[in-house]
Amino acid sequence: MLQQDYSIESILKNMRSKNLKQEPINSGSMADIAFLLLIFFLVSTTLAQEKGLSLLLPPKTEEKIDVPIHERNLYKILINSQNQFLINNEPKTSLEGVKEEVRKFVMNNGADPNLSINPEKAIVSIKANRGTEYKYFVEVLDEAKAAYYEIYAERVGLTAEQYRAINHDDPIEYDMYLKGKEGIPMNISIAQPD
Amino acid sequence: MFRKKSKKQTEITTAALPDIVFLLLFFFMVSATIRPPEELLKTKLPQADAISKVNRKELIREINIGIPKNAQFGTEPKISVESRFIDVEDVSRWAVEQKESLPENLKDHMIVLIRSDELVHMGLIADIQEELKKVNARKVVYRTLEE
Repeated sequence: MLQQDYSIESILKNMRSKNLKQEPINSGSMADIAFLLLIFFLVSTTLAQEKGLSLLLPPKTEEKIDVPIHERNLYKILINSQNQFLINNEPKTSLEGVKEEVRKFVMNNGADPNLSINPEKAIVSIKANRGTEYKYFVEVLDEAKAAYYEIYAERVGLTAEQYRAINHDDPIEYDMYLKGKEGIPMNISIAQPD
Repeated sequence: MFRKKSKKQTEITTAALPDIVFLLLFFFMVSATIRPPEELLKTKLPQADAISKVNRKELIREINIGIPKNAQFGTEPKISVESRFIDVEDVSRWAVEQKESLPENLKDHMIVLIRSDELVHMGLIADIQEELKKVNARKVVYRTLEE
């Protein structure tokens, strides 16, 4: 009869020899598993996109302050509850050409007596009706902002798209951004709808 | 001649493939934040062109406006935040709560992201904005899609 050896040394030796015999785990399917996970995450997550039209609302004031604004410094866009536009007292059905008009209005610098005195004083006023659909308000705001961005971009020799994509963390690019904006505040006023 | 050469060629090792894929996986896991889609309201966003990106994601708080998907909540446009309905009057309270969640020096920089359906009337939007003005949460972004 063979005597079984239960000493620690022999057990360890036994284990070690087993380990040595063991084949490496096949990792060929690892790529497949990783791909599966990757695809799952790609499909299930949406990259957080925080893109949109930004705006700073006016501060809440109790009493109404009447600031005298010269008629010529105001570019008025009204939208009624039927989603029709009234631009500087002229009814319009589409917003075609509004961007160009806003640009001309802002950059007038006193040339045309009906348009703004200087870019700092120029105000684009947007007023909607309570019944106006949000979509049309956004359209108007988009046109106004696009006009300003085009002005800014032109001053630093970029396209409007490049200007909007400027990285604010890069000092050189940010400097360009400030240069484009300098002296031309984006005066877009959103009036309380009635 | 060509056949001989190709026979000699060794197989491309694919040992590094899992590493590459894992790297991609981690990149997507980190860069993509899991956000449950808005489940209460129908929000078909309007399109715009002159959009800009908000760089500071941590400052963003989202508010949704749209018609409830479930008809039992009515067919009138409603406001929802964090998957619960709130009334217009509660918007200011919500804004204050959200402001409190930010560090002291960033409180006034909070950005309210308005995700509204394109058919919502401006009256409701204006009311919400009035509520936000009350608590000095004046930075808003109208979430739009690219044209």
